[in-house]
Amino acid sequence: MTRSFATSPITRALFAAALIIAASATLAYASPAYVSVELARRLFGAMLGVVVVIYANAAPKALTPLTRMRCDPEVEQILRRFAGWMLVLGGLGYTAASLLAPIGSAQLLAIAFLGSALLAVAIRYGIAVGVGRRAR
Amino acid sequence: MSSVFKALADPTRRRVLQLLRRGPMTAGELAEQFDLAKPTMSVHFAVLREASLIDSEKQGRTIVYRLRMSVLEEALLGFAQTFGIQVTKDAAGAPAVTPDTEHS
Repeated sequence: MTRSFATSPITRALFAAALIIAASATLAYASPAYVSVELARRLFGAMLGVVVVIYANAAPKALTPLTRMRCDPEVEQILRRFAGWMLVLGGLGYTAASLLAPIGSAQLLAIAFLGSALLAVAIRYGIAVGVGRRAR
Repeated sequence: MSSVFKALADPTRRRVLQLLRRGPMTAGELAEQFDLAKPTMSVHFAVLREASLIDSEKQGRTIVYRLRMSVLEEALLGFAQTFGIQVTKDAAGAPAVTPDTEHS
């Protein structure tokens, strides 16, 4: 069965990338004449956070066929779901910080939220790998 | 999205998804957890597959089911489970969403 060009993953990814670039360019063009520099920074940060949320939300649905999996499927599922949840929460925190935090600390706070989420995923992955090695 | 709501509206299908949270299970292992006939379970599996909430893979003569839910769909599952939402039929036979009386 062939996929139509419009619905292939590459097409969707290219469309999403074009949308992000267009939004960024629009914000850059509109600031400071139509939109304040602060608002443009907030909106750009919120857009990045929303992008993270959208992709993280879909991450647990990206399955590797069991026949091609080289690790324990139960552990793989736990890690995939954990990563999805953490990055959605991190992305939501990034978005909220970009929109609501005082502008001077908004970027730092946003990065802290997303960074914490990534760190949690890395630690969880490390624990799973460590437990797996000890079991062997 | 309506297929997702339809799938999550049934307590049996929600239980299947909860069991699959632990990891992949065969059709037989899942069916053992319920006091339902195999054809009935097959219907539930089909509804869940149609809603893209589970994935099935044939391994030899067995079918292995895996969870395939996005974060939002898992959150909806938790919401439906907490409030015990299920679809019943009213006197006219039309579907109506009601809270599960066991939970209230």
